[in-house]
Amino acid sequence: MSEEHTLCSVDELPEGTHRVVRVGKREIGVFNIRGELHAIPNLCPHQRGPLCKGSVSGALDCGPHTDWKVAWIWEGEVVTCPWHSLEFHVPTGQCLALPDVRLRKFELRLVGGDVRVVL
Amino acid sequence: MTDTASATRSARDTLADVYVVDADVHIHEDPAALAEYAEPPWDVGLREIAKVEERYLDLPGMTPRAEFRVPFPGGSNRRQIVTSAGELRSSLDELHVNKAVLFPDHLLYLAMVRDPDFAVTLARSYNRWLHERWLLEDTSLKGAIVVAPQDPQAGAAEIRRYAGCREFVCVYLPASGLRPLYGHRQYDSLYEAAVEAGLPVALHSVEAVFPVFPFELNEFRTTFGAHSVAHPFSMIANMVSMLETGVPARFPDLRIAFMEAGCGWIPFILHRLDKEYIERRREVPLLQERPSHYIKRFFYGTQPIEEPERLADIVKLYELFDGEHQAMFASDWPHHDFDHPEYFFGLPFGVEARRKIMGENAIRFFGPEVA
Repeated sequence: MSEEHTLCSVDELPEGTHRVVRVGKREIGVFNIRGELHAIPNLCPHQRGPLCKGSVSGALDCGPHTDWKVAWIWEGEVVTCPWHSLEFHVPTGQCLALPDVRLRKFELRLVGGDVRVVL
Repeated sequence: MTDTASATRSARDTLADVYVVDADVHIHEDPAALAEYAEPPWDVGLREIAKVEERYLDLPGMTPRAEFRVPFPGGSNRRQIVTSAGELRSSLDELHVNKAVLFPDHLLYLAMVRDPDFAVTLARSYNRWLHERWLLEDTSLKGAIVVAPQDPQAGAAEIRRYAGCREFVCVYLPASGLRPLYGHRQYDSLYEAAVEAGLPVALHSVEAVFPVFPFELNEFRTTFGAHSVAHPFSMIANMVSMLETGVPARFPDLRIAFMEAGCGWIPFILHRLDKEYIERRREVPLLQERPSHYIKRFFYGTQPIEEPERLADIVKLYELFDGEHQAMFASDWPHHDFDHPEYFFGLPFGVEARRKIMGENAIRFFGPEVA
């Protein structure tokens, strides 16, 4: 059965910011990326580091789709684990270095001025 | 190492039940603090250096590191230095580390300091500072005596100065930018002093671009390239050099460790040297046994631990150099590529092997002070 927990108020999460909120035994990172809210576990699947306490930036990309030229992509959408710098694309939960690793995305609801997570 | 974690771990088997010795933890020696312990006139120079803003592992005047990284935003935002015994102890408690052996930050580059007198002063000041500010503050922290390879006689004197001092458990041999390599006879005085003091020696490198073999890493354009080879190439170069001149044969009581290069390189060089030995034994007649026998008696820091797609491959890797008895858990805390003890604990080693690697092997290497 799912439960809803308030993470913070919308006012506490301006665009371009993120924060970590404890819900029971779980820590959840909640991000406001250009007005869209995203929530992922504050737990890096690599060595269990506090992923969402890392910095948020973009990422470098290069491949046939960029004509093998280095490109800066996903500005404001990539969180880097403070322990070993593993990068994750927050909107999809996808790990950049390890294609088979994708983080769980938590469902969020806006109720009044509150950001709620559905667990 | 025949059993596996899945077969032997009991429900109560947790990291907290294991005695953990961390063979490699780094502390931050800021130049202003070292100036207080430095002999004149070098204290003046250190105070001058202290005016320059420090970057991570990069101190102008002390650490001539070339930085080629393009500073794109992002990356790790974690504080990667520790500046007091209390702060370190608190971090180590979180990591479940019982005893830790301390190595420096900036002095990882000590072998590159051009003025040998300054290098000796840095080592001496650091050792005094380390003893007073860290080791006497917390007895769970043990020290590595830093010696300047530029002046082995002074290094030997430094080892003798701390011989019998229970707070120091090994001699640190800086390996980055080193010339000549540690097999050179000029270092015999260091080894003699270490044996006399009953202390082991630990080689530890650091990534650097420097015009000395094997640090001409400007061939690479990325840290991905340079860092991946800097540590293991340095360890391979020094190990081969030490075997060439028979260091382990001439100093059979000297315990020698190779730190911070992971362990993947060991089976390669072990097999390669055994192969060469068959054809070229006459060049190294002072080796009394095939090289692999000596290599399997050396000790090795685990960090940075290999992360193969099949974790069981690590167990196989360790079998190739008797890692069960010769590998020592090392976290490298708080540096960028540290390994969490929990991660090592979760690897599919058997209970016995894990207990040895996470603590008992370090006690055999460093001695009862880390027990």
